[in-house]
Amino acid sequence: MKSNLPVDILDDRKDFVCCKSGKGDGKVKCDSDSVAGSVSQRACVYCGARVVLNPITDAVHIVHGPIGCASYTWDIRGSLSSGPETYRNSFSTDLREQDVIFGGEKKLAGAIDEIIVKYSPKVVFVYSTCIVGVIGDDIEAVCKSAEKKHSIRVIPIQSTGFAGNKSQGYKAACNALLRLMGESIQPKVTGINFLGDFNLAGEIWIVEEYLKKCGINIITKITGDSRVEEIMKAPSAELNVVQCAGSMTYLAKEMDKRFGIPFVKVSFYGLEDTKTSIMQIAKAVGDKQVLEKAVELIMDEEYKASLMLEQYRQRLKGKRAAIYVGGGFKAISLIKQFADLGMKTVMVGTQTGKAEEYEIIRSIADEGAVILDDSNPAELEGFIKQKGADILVGGVKERPLAYKLGIAFCDHNHERKHPLCGFEGAVNFAKEVDMSINSPIWKFVKDENKCL
Amino acid sequence: MKNRNFVNLNINPCKMCMPIGAVTAFKGIENSMFLLHGSQGCSTYIRRHMASHYNEPIDIASSSLNEKGTVFGGESNLKKGLKNVLKQYTPDVVAVATTCLAETIGEDIQRLTQEFIVEEGLENVKIIPISTPGYGGTEFEGYYAALTQIVKEVAVEKSESNGLINIIAASLSPGDIRNIKDILTAFGIGYVLLPDISDTLDAPYTDEYRRIPSGGTKLRDIEKMTGAVATIEMGMTVPSHISPGQYLLEKFNVPFHKCAVPIGIENTDKFIRLLSSISQKPIPQSLKSERGRLLDGMIDSHKYNSEGRAVLYGDPELVYAASKLCMENGIKPVLIATGTQSNVLRELLKGPEDDYSEEPNIIDDTDFETIQRYAKEFNANIIIGNSDGKVITEKEGIPLVRFGFPIHDRVGGQRLVYTGYTGTQKFLDDITNTLLEEKYTKYRKSMYKKYFNPSEDKKALQEEFCNKLEIARKTMTHPCYSKGACKNARMHIPVAPACNISCNYCNRKFDCVNESRPGVTSEVLTPEEAAKKFVEVKSKINNLKVLGIAGPGDALANFKNTKKSIELIKEIDPDVTFCLSTNGLMLPFHAEELISLGVTHITITINAIDPEIGAKIYKEVNFMGMKLEGVDAAALLIKNQLKGLRYLSSRGVVCKVNIVMIKGINDTHIEEVVKEVKKCGAFISNIMPLIPAKGSAFENLPLTNNKELNELRKKCEIDLKQMYHCKQCRADAIGMLSEDISQEFSQAKCGGGCSEKTKTKDEKAYTFAVATRTGVAIDQHFGHAEEFYIFKYSNSEIKFVEKRLVSKYCTGEEHCDDEDSKIDRIVKAVNGCNAVLVLRIGYRPSKILQDKGIVVVQTCGRVEDAIKTAVKDLETVKELAQAVD
Repeated sequence: MKSNLPVDILDDRKDFVCCKSGKGDGKVKCDSDSVAGSVSQRACVYCGARVVLNPITDAVHIVHGPIGCASYTWDIRGSLSSGPETYRNSFSTDLREQDVIFGGEKKLAGAIDEIIVKYSPKVVFVYSTCIVGVIGDDIEAVCKSAEKKHSIRVIPIQSTGFAGNKSQGYKAACNALLRLMGESIQPKVTGINFLGDFNLAGEIWIVEEYLKKCGINIITKITGDSRVEEIMKAPSAELNVVQCAGSMTYLAKEMDKRFGIPFVKVSFYGLEDTKTSIMQIAKAVGDKQVLEKAVELIMDEEYKASLMLEQYRQRLKGKRAAIYVGGGFKAISLIKQFADLGMKTVMVGTQTGKAEEYEIIRSIADEGAVILDDSNPAELEGFIKQKGADILVGGVKERPLAYKLGIAFCDHNHERKHPLCGFEGAVNFAKEVDMSINSPIWKFVKDENKCL
Repeated sequence: MKNRNFVNLNINPCKMCMPIGAVTAFKGIENSMFLLHGSQGCSTYIRRHMASHYNEPIDIASSSLNEKGTVFGGESNLKKGLKNVLKQYTPDVVAVATTCLAETIGEDIQRLTQEFIVEEGLENVKIIPISTPGYGGTEFEGYYAALTQIVKEVAVEKSESNGLINIIAASLSPGDIRNIKDILTAFGIGYVLLPDISDTLDAPYTDEYRRIPSGGTKLRDIEKMTGAVATIEMGMTVPSHISPGQYLLEKFNVPFHKCAVPIGIENTDKFIRLLSSISQKPIPQSLKSERGRLLDGMIDSHKYNSEGRAVLYGDPELVYAASKLCMENGIKPVLIATGTQSNVLRELLKGPEDDYSEEPNIIDDTDFETIQRYAKEFNANIIIGNSDGKVITEKEGIPLVRFGFPIHDRVGGQRLVYTGYTGTQKFLDDITNTLLEEKYTKYRKSMYKKYFNPSEDKKALQEEFCNKLEIARKTMTHPCYSKGACKNARMHIPVAPACNISCNYCNRKFDCVNESRPGVTSEVLTPEEAAKKFVEVKSKINNLKVLGIAGPGDALANFKNTKKSIELIKEIDPDVTFCLSTNGLMLPFHAEELISLGVTHITITINAIDPEIGAKIYKEVNFMGMKLEGVDAAALLIKNQLKGLRYLSSRGVVCKVNIVMIKGINDTHIEEVVKEVKKCGAFISNIMPLIPAKGSAFENLPLTNNKELNELRKKCEIDLKQMYHCKQCRADAIGMLSEDISQEFSQAKCGGGCSEKTKTKDEKAYTFAVATRTGVAIDQHFGHAEEFYIFKYSNSEIKFVEKRLVSKYCTGEEHCDDEDSKIDRIVKAVNGCNAVLVLRIGYRPSKILQDKGIVVVQTCGRVEDAIKTAVKDLETVKELAQAVD
């Protein structure tokens, strides 16, 4: 019954959706503007820039714009710090009607002065927002003169909300990071940079510990639990390891060009990817000893993890999963994780996946899986019902939808309070999926009509 | 009072923007959808914010304006957006609201929506445009402006008198809206409630999912508002231009009553009376009982509440109501704050009707950074407001009662019922219980701290116990007293050059930086210099736990310096363990002062307890101007040593007794010594081998090997704990026992008088480095040697010079494990010697040594025999070389 439900898709959206079938080679359109009125789950350019830079713990992030932009992004990321907490504050120039009419440059300059006097930060990031782009405040000039006046780095971020989508925001953030790193070539130090982990629930600490055990040193973490000085040291690394490819590939490519640092793409989500990633990094920078340690670590950790995972596998076998997350790398790892648990992925979508990522998704997704780019609640609802998904993986906005549809949910967004990366993360993931799918409450939900 | 700490900055906003308020209002209209005309982010952020509070899917469309739309106008985006919304959601009402962006580029949504209706030939869909620039106000203005706009757009004609009462609800939780409806039902009043989010934002689970949840105020009911008997608007703080009640009064003459949100007994009374008088219906008995119970509850908890010092913040309408609740219960609102610009709030709460003692502090247009500062300044013990205030709880430890929007870090924000008499009771209970929890978790400790005065006896006992604990802790971390503390570093300050006795094994005349034994130092420091050096060392070594004074003379023979040094360093670092070593002669005189100085560990060197034996070891004793020799000298010294040891031990000082094992003199006596010092309270004893220092009376005595030493230690262990890891260190040693780094901190270099430099010009003098563990036989592989015994052969005599630890030649920690660098270190250690005598040696090291001109002899057997053979070989080599020349 359910599988025959037709899913209404807006005409403009049809190219963004496809179904994996044996013969078809249909491609998913992606990396485009959202369709007006489609109720996209995406945010804006500013959001992209903010989420990437926010975890830098000792930076001040000033949002130059009206209050909403700062209000809705205040401390929303579960990024943890081992030291300063400056990043957990929300600074806004709180522009009003008068400022929109007469310009906000003066207010911004005043704001930077105030904050530097009171907080003496190492760096100030200034984000432009929609109206700043329209009223034409020259934040570049304001930052430049502030930099001169206070002799600290004041870096403008061109994150005008309407000028593209979240991906442009990632790029703007990367450009800000590059500005912070400077131009000069630094003498090489043994060690790597880890790009694209934001230390949600301490995830970068887990990865760092793995690598330490193998004898690999992280020079700069971008940007989870990082400090300004740490980021400035990034050009001295031997290798860039890129996890969140959607936000960080641009940075890695630029660093390759400017500082001659090669990069590899990894993912620490799921057993399979964690293992591959550790070996990949060890091979790239380590000697025989490092490789041996890596193998030893993997054997130890995998053994422990698989003991735990086995019990979940039995409880989850044959269940159907739907995925709707931000970036492509996460979706790819999730498909593999579900497969490892004996589950079938029936729907995969991302907000900002890239063409090459969709190609991988297509190749590893289960037969018949629906693949979507920049989807919306109506489509998600339709396909979840049509495919009979038992669980949805997504973020805060998707959670109530899953629950209203009476299915389980796994939170893979930036607000979660438990790590999902590495070996322990893989166990946590299975545990969360099991806790939700096999909760006793669904019994009542399914009998809802018969109860009373 | 300043509204904000910063002029140009809002830090941690206590407000949101207009559009989110408008969305909330429209979510209470039946079958409505919302489209934000602006960039994609605005709708997503608002959806996320609301979804985490209501735990409901919040679908808000966006016209997704891009750069093109911004430059050339957003018309096509808006129209396409509307079309897609109609298609996906089939709503009856669509709100089209502006954002910062749409307003700034001057989008005329009134015209555009009109055009759209005509173009599409829409008949059954109402499109309501509304201007909500984000910078134009907060969620509060957005909410009431949207309600007013809805009324203006829908209630266009005067309808017949219908006897209904219009209720304009403040931005309350769906739970509260349900509660208000229940009150109205209890009265049996006909009403139009605007907006009604009771179902739409807290929808029951049903088998079939609806994209737009059912419920909400119907458009045809809104049309009826013009014919109502009156409007009751929960909006004491609402400006008239965004007041729906005001509009209905002005346009349709509907009588208008403002009232507060019915939270608190007074506000609820007013609301109930208003309902009763307008509807001319009696107050239902059920409400009267609820009121009675509330009063009863208020009495029960009034004393707890009177200790409350509250900070309230949020939407001005909610803050006003909650403040009244606090005040009527004796909870002092020390700060009432809102992020919205609102002058009315100040006036309302300062009005003459209030007979509360102190006037509260009220600020508007503020941020959490400022609220946090005042909360601390005013000693608040409770905060009441939305989840964003958790920043204050986190940083200042003041508990938060969650109320308002958003509540995203707890569940159930959408179900909270704080209105009416029962809701007020619940709200008050939550506040009281939070205050009680604070009190109960803290009062035991605070009362104890404040009032408990232990009697003197107990105090002394307590202190003694604490002292013992402290000393035990220090013993655990002292590297000489606990083998497990070997990672900890100690520092000896050479501030005591003079000595008051003369031992036959001692020679303090010279120093070689490479020599390691007691009595040796590269420099003598004044107490001030010592303190300075301590600061330097402490800054570089992070595991420095112990500060010791070990001569180079006797610490107590230089008591002034010793005392001054300890006092100076104690000021710098009160936690460091002070320890010193002494011959014990002056101990009975200074013991008490040492204890009060805080010296917790004292080492006394007691080589004998029999004066006859002592006389062989001590040449001379200088006691208070008296010079004694022989048995008398030894007897006095031993008496004072044991007396001092007994006293110190009885006072809790941890005492170690050092015994130098001198073959043929005291080696058979040592067991007795250990037994005796044990009786006197010694904690541990340390039997050390004699180092026959050159120039000392004992320079020619035989060496003791490790086997003999350890055998003796084992025997003595039956009586007293033994130290096995002593390194017999210098008077200026610094670092871990295994690794003296004192030379890094010393100005002195290997100076005159050093053993290496006292080489006679004898042609037949050779220096040998011997790989031996015991000093007796050659028993070490070159690469395994951790120390070398250096012997000198001259004038047919073989003399022991010194021991060289290989670890001292470490080049840096990271290379320590590296085999190659270990070899390098060993090579350094044997540098300057003519030959190396080893059991075995590898090819490479052998080559390195030969390149340096050092002869390698692989042999075994007794050291002396091997040296003699080696000398012969060397001579032969030399002769050969000369012959070749």
